[in-house]
Amino acid sequence: MIFSELYSVYYNTVAKILSAMVESNVDSKTAQKIVEENAFGDSAFTIMNAIKSEKWQVMTRDFTTAIEHKPTMPLTTLQKRWLKSISLDPRIKLFGVKFEGFDDVEPLFTQEDYYVFDRYNDGDNYEDRTYVGRFRYLLNAIRNKTPVKINMKNVRGQNIYAKCLPVRLEYSEKDDKFRLITSGCRFLTVINLSKIVSVARCNGEFTPKEHRHQGRMDTVTLKITDDRNALERVMLHFAHFEKQAEKLDRKHYLVHIKYDHADEMEMVIRILSFGPLVEVIEPEPFVELMKNKLQKQFDCKIK
Amino acid sequence: MSSYNELIKNFERVRSYMREFYVYGFKSRADYDKKSARSYDDEKRRMESILGDYMSFVRTPEGKNVFLSIDSRTSVHNPFYKALKAKSFTDGDITLHFIIFDILHSPDVEFTLAEIMEIIDEKYLSGFEAPMMFDESTIRKKLKEYCSEGLIITSKQGRKVTYSRSEHIDTVDIKDALDYFSEIAPCGAVGSFLLDKEEKTDSSFTFKHHYITSAMDSDVLACLFDAMRQKRAITANNLNRKHDEPRLAEIVPLRIFISVQNGRQYLLAYQTQFSCITSYRVDYLSNVKPLDVCDNFDDLRARLDDMQTKMWGVNTRQNAYKQEHLEHVEFIINVADNEEYIVRRLYREKRIGNVEKLDDHTYRFSADVYDTTELVPWIRTFICRITQMDFSNRTAENRFKGDLKRMYEIYGIGKEVSE
Repeated sequence: MIFSELYSVYYNTVAKILSAMVESNVDSKTAQKIVEENAFGDSAFTIMNAIKSEKWQVMTRDFTTAIEHKPTMPLTTLQKRWLKSISLDPRIKLFGVKFEGFDDVEPLFTQEDYYVFDRYNDGDNYEDRTYVGRFRYLLNAIRNKTPVKINMKNVRGQNIYAKCLPVRLEYSEKDDKFRLITSGCRFLTVINLSKIVSVARCNGEFTPKEHRHQGRMDTVTLKITDDRNALERVMLHFAHFEKQAEKLDRKHYLVHIKYDHADEMEMVIRILSFGPLVEVIEPEPFVELMKNKLQKQFDCKIK
Repeated sequence: MSSYNELIKNFERVRSYMREFYVYGFKSRADYDKKSARSYDDEKRRMESILGDYMSFVRTPEGKNVFLSIDSRTSVHNPFYKALKAKSFTDGDITLHFIIFDILHSPDVEFTLAEIMEIIDEKYLSGFEAPMMFDESTIRKKLKEYCSEGLIITSKQGRKVTYSRSEHIDTVDIKDALDYFSEIAPCGAVGSFLLDKEEKTDSSFTFKHHYITSAMDSDVLACLFDAMRQKRAITANNLNRKHDEPRLAEIVPLRIFISVQNGRQYLLAYQTQFSCITSYRVDYLSNVKPLDVCDNFDDLRARLDDMQTKMWGVNTRQNAYKQEHLEHVEFIINVADNEEYIVRRLYREKRIGNVEKLDDHTYRFSADVYDTTELVPWIRTFICRITQMDFSNRTAENRFKGDLKRMYEIYGIGKEVSE
């Protein structure tokens, strides 16, 4: 259903070359550039060769074509069904978009057909109209690179104000929360959207410096004992990090994982969840964090 | 002679290589013993061509290990979608594709098969030195294929059948929604296909805790959803860890269970042969084929709804008489002053069960579940504050305590006391 040449990079690239040809003259150099910008690493040879040998009879080797219109393709049933599905997702309200022409379309899936079983329960409230309003305002500000003034509550419940340039909205699927990534404000680089009380345009009195949120990255080295399918579980659990693995022997593996220092405590408890099958080897301060937790547990004298 | 082509004919093979390179990444060429050396070289080259920016290698005494390393927080679009855009095709496929949509350039334009054939020969192919020849059945087959994809519609006037393109639906205004849902919705690859049609602009979103391996299972997932929407049973090849070869499963797919804490996707399905609901890993399934409509689909799904109140993860345990078997899980934690976030953790992370406040510093979690072992990783995240536990599954409790003891040994905790 999904793995089809209709959606292929090759079809899209050829469509781009043909579009350029419909608009003006195209030579081999221009075509090659389009291929390099749009296709895969090894595609240039294959596509240019197919054009030169006239294997694909939509353009001649001299870059003339009988195609009169810029190539377009209507939406496939699969695309319509997927769009219908996302139109039924409660989070679509964040975007304020209308889906017209989908009345007779059967969704590919509904909320009844899948269940995210380990998402946390205190996600952002997408039914809250003020939250949705702030979301849209910030999305617009990101697109237009507009500095904003933010009023939010800190951990002690006090109001604080910040001027910043919104850069991106970061979504965590586990937390079901959005965070705003900002630049130009040293003390507020990541803001939970649900903590924002109000947001307004920063009227020209703020010129953000090029200060982007770049978290300090650390590396932790784990030794995995491959009992109870631990290797696969660990590698899948930490799959979303930049990492490197090496085999020590038939049963033991070393994995080096790069993580954002700000998430260190989260890393500690994620590693603890694997029990004795994952041991932190280095760095020493991380090992100390593990020891500290275990020492406290030892002192609890579990019954 | 090598017949290497960067495009992919059989996605199943590339699916397994991508997973090996990405999830594991410590295997050398010699470790891929199940497949031929040529096959390994071809798949590696394909991966390098498609995902070159993310490929790395390291030299070890066993040889060169190739691996894919992607920090999904820094990539705004799932790189694995690219592999789904590398399907091979014939010279005739691509030629007919562009010609047909140029002939049927607007929904108002309609032609019969004979007219389309005539236009192709006269207008589109005559300028080539060795023009392709398309017979009637080839063009009819292509039009039929595009009708089933929803790209072309037919209308009948008497005995005359005409073809025209489907109505255009604009997706320009939903670009932000596509950027977001293409990454987080099931079968998000479809959103990525839609984005390919738009002007390339930066996405306003990034993603944390973002598992991207499910992209490789998009095709299987779409087939499962399709079967569920039609309430159909299916057959699928299921690769079990215990067996080398996949086995054919005849099941009624009921719901997809998705984990956002390890990226795995499971199918909860009714096993016709054993009359029970059980889970299958979607990444182990392939070759999904629809069967007949299942008359009691709604009843089976209602049964699963009820079971979900006793499932921590995806395990559904029943005894030999198909009776429900529940286990009681209970643990108590100590919470110090200024540690309200720990109490919040209990409430927000629990999937089922109850949290009780015993006093200002003590909280109890309890639940009745099918499988105690599914809770163990979560309970371990409270290590440093667990004061009491009581599992009706004594084996699971003893293992938990034994594991804790091993952790003390590994990190040298309690040595001073015992010495």
